[in-house]
Amino acid sequence: MDTSDKDKFELEKSNDNPINYHSSGGMSSDWRFNSTSIPNSSLGLVPTDNLMSVCRGDLVGAASCSSSSVIDSFGPAMWEHPTNSQNLVFCDINAQNIASSSNTVGIGKGFPFSSRNGIDRTLEMGWNPPNSMLKGGIFLPNAPGMLPQSLSQFPADSAFIERAARFSCFNGGDFGDMVNPFGVPESMGLFSRGGGMMQGPGEVFVGSGMKSVSGAQTQKNVMNAGEASKDVSMSADHMATEGSPLKNETKRESLARSRDESKKGAGGSGNDSDEAEFSGGSGQDEQSMLEGNCGELSAKSLGSKKRKRSGQDAELDQAKGTPQSAKGSPETQQKGDQKPASTTSKASGKQGKQGSQGSDQPKDDYIHVRARRGQATNSHSLAERVRREKISERMKFLQDLVPGCSKVTGKAVMLDEIINYVQSLQRQVEFLSMKLATVNPRLDFNIEGLLAKDILHSRAVPPSSLAFSSEMPMAYPALHQSQPGLIATAFPGMESHSDILRRTINSQLTPMTAGFKEPAQLPNVWDDELHNVVQMSYGNSAPQDSQDVNEPLPPGHLKVEL
Amino acid sequence: MRDPSSLKQQFLKKWILGLQVCGSGKQNMSILERKEAIKLSADIALASARDGRTRWSRATIANASKHDDNKVLVQHLLAPESESLKKSSIGLVVRDNKRVRCKKILKWSCCVKRVRKSVSQVVLAKSIAKRMVNRKTRVLKSLVPGGEFMDDICLIEETLDYIESLRAQVDVMRTLAKATELVNGK
Repeated sequence: MDTSDKDKFELEKSNDNPINYHSSGGMSSDWRFNSTSIPNSSLGLVPTDNLMSVCRGDLVGAASCSSSSVIDSFGPAMWEHPTNSQNLVFCDINAQNIASSSNTVGIGKGFPFSSRNGIDRTLEMGWNPPNSMLKGGIFLPNAPGMLPQSLSQFPADSAFIERAARFSCFNGGDFGDMVNPFGVPESMGLFSRGGGMMQGPGEVFVGSGMKSVSGAQTQKNVMNAGEASKDVSMSADHMATEGSPLKNETKRESLARSRDESKKGAGGSGNDSDEAEFSGGSGQDEQSMLEGNCGELSAKSLGSKKRKRSGQDAELDQAKGTPQSAKGSPETQQKGDQKPASTTSKASGKQGKQGSQGSDQPKDDYIHVRARRGQATNSHSLAERVRREKISERMKFLQDLVPGCSKVTGKAVMLDEIINYVQSLQRQVEFLSMKLATVNPRLDFNIEGLLAKDILHSRAVPPSSLAFSSEMPMAYPALHQSQPGLIATAFPGMESHSDILRRTINSQLTPMTAGFKEPAQLPNVWDDELHNVVQMSYGNSAPQDSQDVNEPLPPGHLKVEL
Repeated sequence: MRDPSSLKQQFLKKWILGLQVCGSGKQNMSILERKEAIKLSADIALASARDGRTRWSRATIANASKHDDNKVLVQHLLAPESESLKKSSIGLVVRDNKRVRCKKILKWSCCVKRVRKSVSQVVLAKSIAKRMVNRKTRVLKSLVPGGEFMDDICLIEETLDYIESLRAQVDVMRTLAKATELVNGK
């Protein structure tokens, strides 16, 4: 399956969702992973997926991803109702990062809907250049011209900014932009960085390991000592997805980690990318070796548990960077970014964990996975794990959708239920279409006629109509726009009738809908036809109008229907 | 979830449009013909309501466009939408076919001989479960239009969207059927 994933990755290009999805996923997993302070990161990737879907929704939109709509639906759900603690934690962290939880939620919600296109393009722009550099243009880079406009649309999403910043991290020259007064919250720093970064995405991967290290260090100096060190350690340290010290991650670290994300780029991105499922085969050996080494180091650091980030972190990071770089030298993928990674790994052995290890190199468009503690660090197994988690994530949504699946666990049974449900729905469609065919001898669904006739003949207004009438006004505003459209298309020449007439018809309609299975939805459905009904009733009194109404239909039909 | 009511309205609108296109053409259609026309226009309307954002919708439109007699209907329903949608739908199947073929070839080529050793109970159960899942995935792929060309993750997402759309379609058709019954019953 790993191979297939890789293949898919390479084969599906440009417009395909998976690529954008994966790339964004890779990105998001990096920083999200870092930012979550969940101790047991067994679900480390799950929150990223959750949040990633939000992010992804933006990416998807531009790429005409099929799941964009799905993601949209998921996104707000996730933001509003984080189903697992990780989401909550992430949201908390985000709140910290953004210095206001409300912003986070608002941003999250607004994210997919408001500036999706702009963000999509921006994101893609940000991702694409690195991707293209990496893999010779797997992703079609979007027009850089998009940036200027979309920049303004950048959501105040720290994760987003981090990602963007990450790319720019590779360019040492950009670090100056990233340095911000520390009075500004982390997220703000990221914001500006992201803004500055986006302009120079092309240079993301050019930065050498040294550059990144120095950049990281510079950044470190500028930023808070503790957090800066985290960043450096993050970048330097590990891309390798080793047993990461999720347990050791604390909120502080997560905060720093999110910053690390940006710096990451400098750090051995190559390691991460290779570790990620979709890296090239050649690099994998080195990767695994490096990973193994880093894994040991990280394991040690993990053992130390939650070392406070302090100035020593800086040294630690540097130390880490060297061993990693040394090991990473053979890896040529990331243009010598190994150095920081190797140094970090070395240093990690010495001191406590850096927490930064959790971050994966955002540089690549690959999905960066961090191996959990005690798990195999083989890239294949990592890829498998990521894929499994993604699938299980989506199965959860399906569980909510398919009735009667809440108690079911396990893929096979869930798939069974899903299959049954889809089959039953399809059979229902067939049956209903057959029913409609029998009922309508001439394929002329004169809905207005049907409704008008019903309304005119059924004078009874059951008391239940009163209950429904309250729903009608709610449906009205939404439907007013659609009604003219419907009428215009279906009955050219018929224009909207008076609202009063419509409402009376509606109130009479509701009793009719009461008998239906889903009365709550009926008003919406009927509102389209309501217009027709109104016109029909109008037409009944004025036969000439009805003729116009039924122009597209056989003229005799009207009489038959009525 | 996306707004279900707006989806239904959109679907209904397009469906009625399509039915008019269908109905204006022929007269005295047999019941089966009518049923097919109803179903076809309903499916196309549902797929076009998604504006080509989902794979299954594009696959449905592509499949429908394959038959020439449906093309008019498809064009009529898709008229408000962009031309690119139609083109992408048509090209989708071809592209996906190639992709699937390439994937399969790579998969098979990389697939090394399976060593069958005496495995523990756990491993055996796992392999059985895996096979079951694969079998069911294949069935699901056959159910969802255009599903054969998707990988697992995409498949599940498409299924989600497809289920939602199917639900809306069933609701609309059911209410219409009931209304027609009521009217005819009078």
